[in-house]
Amino acid sequence: MADPASTHSGTLSADSGRTSRPPSATTAPPMLAALEVHRTYRFGQVEVPVLRGASISIAQGEWVAILGQSGSGKSTLMHLLGGLDRPDEGRGTIEFEGRAVNLGAGRSLDRYRNRDVGFVFQFYHLLPELSVLENACLPGLVGGWFGHARAAAARRRAEELLDQAGLSHRLRHRPAELSGGERQRVAIVRALVNGPRVLLADEPTGNLDATTGASILDLIAAQHAQGLTVAMVTHDATVAARAHRVVHLRDGQVVEG
Amino acid sequence: MYAALLSNRYLTSRVIPMIAVGAVALCVALVIIVVSVMSGFLDMLKASGRTLIGDVIVSSGVGGIPHYDEWLADLRALPEVEEATPVIDTLGLLRMPYPSGPSKEIAPVQVWAIEPASFARVTAFGEKVWWRPPTDDAARDAMLPEDPRLRMDGSILRDGLTLTQASTGRPGIVLGMHVSIGNARQSNGSYLPRFGWFMPGEEVTLTVVPVSESGKISEPRDATFPIVNEVFSGVYDVDKSRIFIPLAQAQQLLRLDAAPLYDTTAEPDGEGNLPLLGTTPARVTKVLIRAKPGVDALAARDAVEASWDAFVARAARRSDRLGRPPERVSILTWEQQLRDLIGPVEKEREMMRILFSIIHIVCAGLILSIFWSIVIEKTRDIGILRSVGASRLGILWIFLRYGLAIGVVGSLAGVGIAWIVVDNINLIHEAIGRDAPRAAWITTCALSVLSLVMALHSLAGRGQLLPGLLWTIASVTLGVITLALLGHRGTLIWDPSVYYFSRIPSQVDWFNAAITVGGGIVFSVIGAAIPAAKAADVDPVEALRYG
Repeated sequence: MADPASTHSGTLSADSGRTSRPPSATTAPPMLAALEVHRTYRFGQVEVPVLRGASISIAQGEWVAILGQSGSGKSTLMHLLGGLDRPDEGRGTIEFEGRAVNLGAGRSLDRYRNRDVGFVFQFYHLLPELSVLENACLPGLVGGWFGHARAAAARRRAEELLDQAGLSHRLRHRPAELSGGERQRVAIVRALVNGPRVLLADEPTGNLDATTGASILDLIAAQHAQGLTVAMVTHDATVAARAHRVVHLRDGQVVEG
Repeated sequence: MYAALLSNRYLTSRVIPMIAVGAVALCVALVIIVVSVMSGFLDMLKASGRTLIGDVIVSSGVGGIPHYDEWLADLRALPEVEEATPVIDTLGLLRMPYPSGPSKEIAPVQVWAIEPASFARVTAFGEKVWWRPPTDDAARDAMLPEDPRLRMDGSILRDGLTLTQASTGRPGIVLGMHVSIGNARQSNGSYLPRFGWFMPGEEVTLTVVPVSESGKISEPRDATFPIVNEVFSGVYDVDKSRIFIPLAQAQQLLRLDAAPLYDTTAEPDGEGNLPLLGTTPARVTKVLIRAKPGVDALAARDAVEASWDAFVARAARRSDRLGRPPERVSILTWEQQLRDLIGPVEKEREMMRILFSIIHIVCAGLILSIFWSIVIEKTRDIGILRSVGASRLGILWIFLRYGLAIGVVGSLAGVGIAWIVVDNINLIHEAIGRDAPRAAWITTCALSVLSLVMALHSLAGRGQLLPGLLWTIASVTLGVITLALLGHRGTLIWDPSVYYFSRIPSQVDWFNAAITVGGGIVFSVIGAAIPAAKAADVDPVEALRYG
């Protein structure tokens, strides 16, 4: 696990409105950055360039919203930032704390996804066979053959975070027994359970009604207020407005403002 | 750790893996059952061979072995030999005491004339004599209330072991258990008299044909013996045809006893007597030998061969030319004696083992197809796991472990099924051999009707096609079983006249079971490996987006 002193280990109490600690994006060194990233998908003989030299820098403690139309490449950029995908060969770099994560071996990317970043998806993506608690501590169970102590710690932390998210009465329930908002809360707890430095949220409210979506954003805001760096993809300008900085993705490139 | 959690959860929360477990269990059980019965059959053949004929068997031609007493003394002095016993082996006809009236049934028999005391030390004859009182309360309690042995005293056993009817002093005869029609085998393996015939105490007439040293057949001769007991060896062929009489009586009947030899080419003297050439010694046709404990049968055979050569050489130096032993006799171990029987069965067992092991490949194919569909179904889960840091090897291990779990659970279940079936195989066989009980077909019929009602309810009432189809299949299957049970009139699959033994071997071959379990597990993992590799190759982005 990452050094506890440098990882995010805040609590999950809901907050509303913008965080009270605006970042200074222009001066702070980037924690996470995409540099001139290209990503092209191939469908048979057809090549579809999605990202065309997109660059973005996210400073520590910053909350950045990436706004764009559907199909603009927002999720692709998020996957690249989170180490789930790699840029086209030799065409762009993903840096985390100054280190090019996309150039490392598969194992280092696995470790990066497990410990440095946490994902929240639009459709929650919980494992249906596992209970709420098991889903929440899943990242703590990954990575290592002899991780009993780590798993136990993850379990304690998941219980604590689920309690803060108001789900302590749902620990043994299966995802199918939860509402959409509850599922997304579990997904957020799962993303935070290993104490990542960055939360990558891909349309976290896209599948929720306005009230529930707002409560989810409050949760994220609360985490951000405690020092968590957040990168959030959305196509909804009102959701993006909760962030401190909004960038737009147009024609495969990031445009500030 | 997540691999263990997920593979266990996939195993216990879904129906399809249970089908794979069932398939592995059935495959493993089938192989273990078949090979166990074959191995048991082979073991019984070998065990019965040794207990019936000893370790080494010496057989001569029709002329027999003269001065056998002298050679027996040589044999008993050998350090490799525990005991040796003379036997005359010939064919005869037995006039049975049944049916009532003047015409009687005649049974062809194999006559073994023996010296009971030494024969019992070489073979397990003493243990195989059937009619005897129970030795203790436990044996008594295990017997059926109508079992004649409950009312016996030790005299019948003594008569059987000595081949003598003590009450009259007459030499007696012991019959194989199935020589007569009088013994009905019960499901617990015991015998009760049938058709009112309890053979001990009855009299039979044995007819044999003496054959001279040159192979000339003489007039048939007969003798009447009281039946003093019966013997159950467990080998159907032996129990169906073999009878035991005292050696001395057989020698007289077959003209193999010591007798004066006259010169038939000379002129008779004044009193009409031919010149006496000498006395031909008594002869036997077989000598059975028991090796000392720890002595290999082959080593005993070599010692017996050397002893025979010395015996022949000694006889050649004698002036008496009447008692010359034959130059050659057959000296074989019990295994060599039975090789025509044991060899093909051993080959058959290996063939069955190989053929049935192919089922493992079918099993691996089944697991492969089931896992393939599971991997496709679980593509999104794979993407989720990759997003939280699971490695490709980790994903591979989830499905390999899943296959391993199915292999282990299925194989152990298969061993359990095989153990239950093999342990109760004779009960199952006897149940198949009887008419189906009324309760069985009434139950299946009721279940069939119930399934039909459920099918109609699902199809017509709730409009659900899949449950309706499943209930229909269940109803039809149970209906077919009901008809099969109604038409079942008892079929005995294990015919003792074909398979030699009255009982089906019922010991699990645990060595083979261990190999089969290992094969089941290995092939389950092999079957899971290909879908597991596919799962490891899943692109997480694609999985999350389209899974």
